[in-house]
Amino acid sequence: MRAATAVAVSRSRTAAAPPRIVCEGVRHAYRSASGQETLALADVSLSFADGAFVCLLGPSGCGKTTLLNMIAGFLQPGAGTVAVDGRPVEGPSPDRGVVFQDYSLFPWLTVRGNVQFGLRMAGVPPRERRRVADDCLDRVGLAAAGGRYPFELSGGMKQRVAIARALAPGPRVLLMDEPFAALDALTRTSLQNDLLELHRRDAKTVVFVTHNIAEAIYLADRVVVMSPHPGRVIEDITVDIPRPRRRTAAAFNELYERLAAAIGVNALE
Amino acid sequence: MIRRLDPSALQGLAGALLFFAGWEALSRSGLVNAVMLPAPSTVVRSAWALLQVGELQSHLWASLGRALHGFAWGAGLGVLLGVAMARLPRLNGFTYPLVQMFRAIPALAFVPLAVFWFGIGETSKVFLIAWGVFFPTWVNTFIGVRDTSPLLARAGASLGARGWRMLAFVVLPGALPFIIAGLRISLSVALMILVAAELTGALFGVGYLIQMSQLVFRVDQMFVGLLVLGIMGFGTDLLFNHLIGRLLPWYGAERRQQQAARRSTP
Ligand SMILES: Nc1ncnc2c1ncn2[C@@H]1O[C@H](COP(=O)(O)OP(=O)(O)O)[C@@H](O)[C@H]1O
Ligand SMILES: [Mg+2]
Repeated sequence: MRAATAVAVSRSRTAAAPPRIVCEGVRHAYRSASGQETLALADVSLSFADGAFVCLLGPSGCGKTTLLNMIAGFLQPGAGTVAVDGRPVEGPSPDRGVVFQDYSLFPWLTVRGNVQFGLRMAGVPPRERRRVADDCLDRVGLAAAGGRYPFELSGGMKQRVAIARALAPGPRVLLMDEPFAALDALTRTSLQNDLLELHRRDAKTVVFVTHNIAEAIYLADRVVVMSPHPGRVIEDITVDIPRPRRRTAAAFNELYERLAAAIGVNALE
Repeated sequence: MIRRLDPSALQGLAGALLFFAGWEALSRSGLVNAVMLPAPSTVVRSAWALLQVGELQSHLWASLGRALHGFAWGAGLGVLLGVAMARLPRLNGFTYPLVQMFRAIPALAFVPLAVFWFGIGETSKVFLIAWGVFFPTWVNTFIGVRDTSPLLARAGASLGARGWRMLAFVVLPGALPFIIAGLRISLSVALMILVAAELTGALFGVGYLIQMSQLVFRVDQMFVGLLVLGIMGFGTDLLFNHLIGRLLPWYGAERRQQQAARRSTP
């Protein structure tokens, strides 16, 4: 019930507001040391509605990370434009939180120190940033772990900290690059559910990269399927399955077949 | 200090005991001249005598003070220049070949020159120690800062770290393991150069004690000097590691995890 209305809300928002992220004619080539060019992205145009949960799905090497890095501001497109809230992206910004596959936590900071990092850079006074950090840790279920160091945490906990750290400065966009790929199945499911709950509560725009078809269907409002050589968009599918989604439901499997066919049998694990 | 008496620790202890017992026996046996090779018990007695008149302490403090003084200068400048060169390509272009050139010359070779320039007083000793300490600190800091993890830099940038904040809150902490490794090497270098510098002349210092004892034919006191140097080297290393463990609890743990990971992936 609640989930169904959430979907309805995000639809109406789509209709009313301008898209949060717009990529237009984006192209990017990497040049190797020997001068050989890899066309990582060829003419990709996409826009992401405010509050949408979009998965970029595709086999390894199709340019998912490249596209995400451009939205994050780590990389400038060779041609075309990437704009967030109508302004071209010129570099990284705490407006766009990033969660990396390998966690990338600062090993020298405690969990709380990691989560406070963005607030500290923004000059938030200590008491306030501690309050916000503890609140974010609470939201990812790690209220008690604030004083621990990253090396004392399991992979799942590290990724929870990374999510809390990205959320703390209050970004409007959350960019996630295969964040759960290294986790075991049970931990992954639990993090997926928590991420959906976070998204339901504050409806940030989420761009989530994955090569896992079931994960994309389980999470996304919309799945953008990409293909390599050169990296491009080959399918763009709105996922209408009501939440909470069941991986055994007929609609789920139907969509799974369709996406698997789009990606090609070779890409299946 | 020893938390578990595992077999290897017991073996090590047994080996040391055997060594000193054999030495004691050899010195007492009359097979060698006991003046040239005093027994461990004689050395300990001499050390005790020197302690009682307060002489050993004066030597020890003089040496430690110098080592610390030179270490502070060398390490401070090494870290400073290492960071600056790794972050400023222009400065690096100008100075890198020069620094590498000086680094290639063994620091001990500068001892006579330093004595010639600064005399046999404190200045030449502090200069020499600082000179020797500078290079290992510099090279490690330089590499640590230059090879900042691009992933952590990205994480920092996406959280708003830029300019000096990126340097202070991401790059420098990230380089700390390297810097610490450099400082640790520098500590042993400092002690080595300290002794070399003191051998050229001083009024106090453990190196001076050894030198003087040779002149007055007190081999037992030379051994006391060696013993003290050993304890100094061992003690400073232990203290250094202890401090690192206390101040940076993540440092040792990270390293242990990486070593464990390396062991498990052949
Ligand atoms: N830094 C790089 N230098 C050269 N080629 C790269 C670099 N990064 C990615 N590529 C190439 O660009 C293509 C897209 O890479 P990427 O965006 O990482 O794909 P994905 O994240 O979908 O696996 C691949 O063919 C990859 O080999
Ligand atoms: Mg990737």
